[in-house]
Amino acid sequence: MKIEFTPEQDALRQELRAYFSELMTPELTAEVSKAVGEGGGPLFWEAMDKLGKDGWIGVGWPEEMGGRGLSEMEQFIFVEEVMRAGFPFPFLTTESVGPILAKYATARMKEELVSKILGGKMMLGIGYSEPGAGTDLMSLKTTAKKDGDEWVINGQKMWTSLAHHADYIWLAARTNFDPEVKSHSAISIFLVPTDAEGYSCSPVHTLGDVRTNATYYDNVRVPADHLVGDEGMGMLMIFEQLNRERLSLVNVGSFLKLFNDVTQWASDTEMPGGKTVIDQPWVQINLAKCRAGLEALKLICYRQASEMTRGNLAMEDASAAKVYGTEFFVELYRNLAEVLGVSSTLHRDSKGSVLNGRLEELYRTASIITFGGGTNEVQRDLIARGGLGMPRAKR
Amino acid sequence: MDFSFNDTQKEVQNLANQILTDLSTTERLNVIDQQEDRFDEKLWAQLAESGLLGTSISEENGGMGFGFTELSLFIEEVGRTVAAAPVIPVLVSAALPIQKFGTPEQQKRLLPGVVSGEKLITAGLLEALAECPSAPATVAESAGKGFKLTGCKIAVPFAYKAERILVTAKVGDEVGVFLLDPQADGVELNREVSTTREPWYEVVLTGALVAEEDVLMTGSEGQAAALWVAERTMAASCAMQVGVADQSTKITAGYTCERVQFGVPVGSFQAVQHRAADCFIDVTCLKLTTYQAVSLLDSEKEATNEVLMAKIWAGDTGHRVSYASQHLHGGTGIDKDYHLWRYCLWARQLEMTLGSSAALLAALGGRIAEGRAFAE
Repeated sequence: MKIEFTPEQDALRQELRAYFSELMTPELTAEVSKAVGEGGGPLFWEAMDKLGKDGWIGVGWPEEMGGRGLSEMEQFIFVEEVMRAGFPFPFLTTESVGPILAKYATARMKEELVSKILGGKMMLGIGYSEPGAGTDLMSLKTTAKKDGDEWVINGQKMWTSLAHHADYIWLAARTNFDPEVKSHSAISIFLVPTDAEGYSCSPVHTLGDVRTNATYYDNVRVPADHLVGDEGMGMLMIFEQLNRERLSLVNVGSFLKLFNDVTQWASDTEMPGGKTVIDQPWVQINLAKCRAGLEALKLICYRQASEMTRGNLAMEDASAAKVYGTEFFVELYRNLAEVLGVSSTLHRDSKGSVLNGRLEELYRTASIITFGGGTNEVQRDLIARGGLGMPRAKR
Repeated sequence: MDFSFNDTQKEVQNLANQILTDLSTTERLNVIDQQEDRFDEKLWAQLAESGLLGTSISEENGGMGFGFTELSLFIEEVGRTVAAAPVIPVLVSAALPIQKFGTPEQQKRLLPGVVSGEKLITAGLLEALAECPSAPATVAESAGKGFKLTGCKIAVPFAYKAERILVTAKVGDEVGVFLLDPQADGVELNREVSTTREPWYEVVLTGALVAEEDVLMTGSEGQAAALWVAERTMAASCAMQVGVADQSTKITAGYTCERVQFGVPVGSFQAVQHRAADCFIDVTCLKLTTYQAVSLLDSEKEATNEVLMAKIWAGDTGHRVSYASQHLHGGTGIDKDYHLWRYCLWARQLEMTLGSSAALLAALGGRIAEGRAFAE
């Protein structure tokens, strides 16, 4: 046990920090601030292209796939630094779906898509939820039926984030209609090109000013090799993908920076009477709570990255990271916003906004984190079952 | 970044677990708790016999010469079994600084007897309302080649049995670390009744004489030495809390799976599972922050922030897990024929010793304000 970065990992962090301080030009920062968390603008794609060319996106991927062959820990360090820099990195594509796609997709799709993902040239949207299927994903109604060498897909998906920038939707559909077959083995995963005939996408505007989408599939035909893995293997891939997503969702990079920025602001900002904001005891307590909570989350993430390097990602640990991380973030944002006071409610475009209005925005975007990626109630069920040997809860 | 245990660490963990679960059973603890002193002599002798008391005492002093990580894993197992074995005061607060700062004579005089289990040594790190061992109110004045100490230490485990009590005291503007003889003139020992019933003493010092050979550290490095002791003791308390809270959670999960109400185990209810899951998460956070602090201290790295954060988690986790465990047991947990009550008492004692969460949040906040605790 040695819970410190190796000198090489320390050097990598420094290298990345310097790299991103150059990459994040004021123009790029301005562009990505306009579309919260999603990127997709011309400068964003330019930066993605550079990240791909410089070999960063696949730093922890095997060399034979075009990566640098370092471990999951180095991959995690890269993502932490990219998040710290405030770049809207499409981590669901690269960190969460990407590795599952690389493991299960057909040779042709893998060859085409992995190089695009690692080259920073594409994004995927995830099509799981439907109007009537959220937490109870196995009740999904979208269907895929074999017709000769093609699959014909019909249905509707909800909350298909990033679909408007995506080249493909990573779609879950029912492929077995025998009532005797359990839903668990009736669902399959497809890669649906967003330029396919019969596919359409309409925006859903949200509290956090983040655009998401409803996507529609009207007799969309995809070739047989767009099925990922075997028919009926969908849920297995979904669980594997969600475990990775849960870890990515709570990556601490941007929050470490946010904490440091608020601390610096509180140290630098004078109050009437001459004291600085941070001289107030309650401010110090708020910051200390944030600091101690972040430390635990950081270690949870590092341990999981280290476990993944060894090939284990336990369900209960992924779920614990997700529950703890998301509920902590909500408290973190509040504690930090309290330090800024009423100015924390000013929009970034407003006169007098503090730290680019990030806490005003985070309050609005944070509403989704405790249920997105698998609602925390179900995560607690999984922890009780996997981590404490308790029986499967009735739902 | 390596979170796994190496072979030596696993061996220490397994050996400790085996001896402690074999000997420190609920039946045995029921007997020990009838004694005047909560101390299991038979267990202590067996821990000596197996070499565990010498886990991180050097081979030349009779020990196994392993690091602070191995010692902390042993202490975690003591917490897991709530055994009546004073491993923290003896092996961490007293033995480690003697090994680190002591003269060869002091080491030879005190450490081999600790390893063999024949001698107890302990530490008085706390004073009423002065809980930071590196800033004591007790004063030491030169007396010949030795010192005379005046002040009052509290919560000193096993003071009457100890060969020496490690204490800190102000020497002018500096801090000194001394090995006090509890039999010396000017020392008065008054029994305290602690919540776990571990025998504690108030140690009143009225010009108590510390001979030259019992001065461990004075001068400009005294304060750093006192902090060195304090941080290791805090980290060890966290390690013990990991064992206490982890086992408490497991006992609770097990119990709720057996307890049937409304025709089903209560552990099948989501409301029960979710409270248990929150304990699992708390224990995870405590475990990781503790292991980080232990790992840094083992490498003699700067770890003040990390120790503070681990101890804040030890306080919070101890508090929440203890009450959740009792609540989910619904009555059985308070029955003294059942084993949970001891976990609750230890969780509390460890929570409040060497800084409560609130006090340490303030300390951490102060460091943040000084620019010494940015998030890396």
